[in-house]
Amino acid sequence: MAAANAANAAPGANPDDIAIIGWSISPMVRRTDKTEAQMLLEVITGAVEDAGITRAEIDFTCAGSCDYVAGQAFSFVQNIDALGAWPPKRDSHVEMDGAWALYEAYLRLLIGDIDTACVMGSGRSSTADPALIYPMEMDPFYLAPLGVDAASFAAMQARALIDAGKVTERQMAEVAARCRRAAVGNPHAQVAGEFDVDTLLAEDYVRSPLRRHDLPPITDGAVAMVIARADKAKELCEHPIWITGFAHYAESHYVGTRDLRVSRSTELAAKAAGIEAGPIEVAEIQAAFTHEEPLLTEALGLGADTIVNPSGGPLAANPIMATGLVRIAEAAGQIRSNGKRRTLGHSTSGPCLQQNLVCILEASN
Amino acid sequence: MSGVVESTIQFPYKRSLGPVMSAFMTGLRDARLLGIRNGDSVLCPPLEWDPATGESLPNDLVEVGPAGTVQTWTWIAQPTKMHPLDHGFAFALIKLDGADTPIVHAVDAGSIDKMATGMRVAPRWRAERKGHITDIEAFVPGEAAQGASAAPAEGTAAEPVTMMDYHASITYKTPITANQLRTEQANKEGRFLGLRCPACNRTYTGDRGYCPVDATALGQEHEVDLPQTGVLSNYTIITPIQYPGQTETEPFSRIHVTLDGIDVVLGFQSLIDVPVADVRIGMRVAAVWASDAEYVDPDPRWEGRLIGWMPTGEPDVNDPDLVNRMP
Repeated sequence: MAAANAANAAPGANPDDIAIIGWSISPMVRRTDKTEAQMLLEVITGAVEDAGITRAEIDFTCAGSCDYVAGQAFSFVQNIDALGAWPPKRDSHVEMDGAWALYEAYLRLLIGDIDTACVMGSGRSSTADPALIYPMEMDPFYLAPLGVDAASFAAMQARALIDAGKVTERQMAEVAARCRRAAVGNPHAQVAGEFDVDTLLAEDYVRSPLRRHDLPPITDGAVAMVIARADKAKELCEHPIWITGFAHYAESHYVGTRDLRVSRSTELAAKAAGIEAGPIEVAEIQAAFTHEEPLLTEALGLGADTIVNPSGGPLAANPIMATGLVRIAEAAGQIRSNGKRRTLGHSTSGPCLQQNLVCILEASN
Repeated sequence: MSGVVESTIQFPYKRSLGPVMSAFMTGLRDARLLGIRNGDSVLCPPLEWDPATGESLPNDLVEVGPAGTVQTWTWIAQPTKMHPLDHGFAFALIKLDGADTPIVHAVDAGSIDKMATGMRVAPRWRAERKGHITDIEAFVPGEAAQGASAAPAEGTAAEPVTMMDYHASITYKTPITANQLRTEQANKEGRFLGLRCPACNRTYTGDRGYCPVDATALGQEHEVDLPQTGVLSNYTIITPIQYPGQTETEPFSRIHVTLDGIDVVLGFQSLIDVPVADVRIGMRVAAVWASDAEYVDPDPRWEGRLIGWMPTGEPDVNDPDLVNRMP
């Protein structure tokens, strides 16, 4: 399912066009004292204020979060307290990254009967060890009983790429160093600084061929974003940031059925989102492991001119269930604050990049 | 804020396997590896559908392995308690002979130096097998399966394996908020703490962080004491099911108490000394706290110092709207 603007229509010309008009990213920390609802309350307040509206003016809300991460069944129900849901609101939830909550809200607004939506993603991973939780979310018959964790899956994909000559451990370390250098000065980065590639390569493996620098940090964080239909967006915002392409595809869950050297769902999502309609100046991609960056940039068809993850990306802060929506917020920020015209946000879910989402943003004329 | 509460959530699952996985797991119990035909190729482990098209696959299983080739791998030097081995091992994708897709499993190679893409491995079977992916303890370098004869053991049941147990257990360390700490302190002192929103004047129990209507933070400056008496406004009688960890044997009630004169409902409270047949909406109740002597050794079924609620003996409240009140 996708939408791409007609090649010669200005974004925002069509009443069905949807724009981002505000957002707020929480502090990104290893361990927060706040409840998940408290983190959300703060970013929702930030996002609606950034959009110049109140909670009362939000027509639809959608949250992305994960019960396993929160440690409670139906945890997203008490998170609704952060919305100010009285009088009652139209609300939904996805057990996915907030990027998919954005996709649902985008679809909801296309129906045409309501004008504004607030979406969010949140994750407080500090309360348990992600390596113990992740396996439980896998195939319950063939994978969960083996306790295969996310880093083990990623490592097997990394080795497949190395064996195929598509990336080297040195190139992976260079990705890590570049991202954490780019993160310096980003107030929403948890891990930032100058790292020497040879020093990094001298470290022990954590999950061969992955070393600590190849892995994302464990992060508590949240993000909220407000979107609106064209007329409302133009009424509220001088320079709405238009969503001109939006698509996601899923592949088979069991990693043995997929060629791990490519990302077919990313290729399909990028095409369906209309990536070929123009240059992408900045791409914020959810490459949580260093080898995923070259794999995803190739699948997206990005050229050398595209700046990748100037925020630092998930290697700088990885609030699981919010990371993808943060990418889209950062891609929007490049349009609002850095003069860019066309940017891309990417999110992923499942072992070895099983599902992939591509969101293309364009500046107002 | 200070303090962390540790809690473990456990789910004992019994999963049905369906015809395809039942055949595979039965095969494992019998020390055989099976794949499923998908047109010209063979998927192992077997799926119930074609991963490319989603079409159901006919139940056409074939033996594969026992040996296979490592397609990719990683080394786990420090296994977690979820991992199948407690010493350094590899996870690998292993394409068994006769299969076209690789299976994920452990390789007990002894050291990282023994691992290589392209190496040959074979299963080491667990001595006692039940029809579970861990009937394979791990794969080991070489061509020959270890740990089991080719034929099932004498006296093995002919019945196929149809169910799988999975015991999930996760431990969380959750920070206690300042409001929760103050509410707990009040409970120790035999008080119910409430919080009043300065914007809308609604009152909430003291462990809330904010008013959900106004999305404003609530704290110490908003504290009020809640009444110790109220009316039973809703209830359920629970018939205990004997799941693992269940301690109750007789039906028991859980009640909602709408506190007197204030819009606060305490949910799922204990009712003391009232037979389940006599529990009724409208009954006036009062909080019963443990004395200092009793509190030295609190009963874990109490809520901190609160033992529960007892009828006061006053006439019932007759209000049809009571049952609509929610905590």
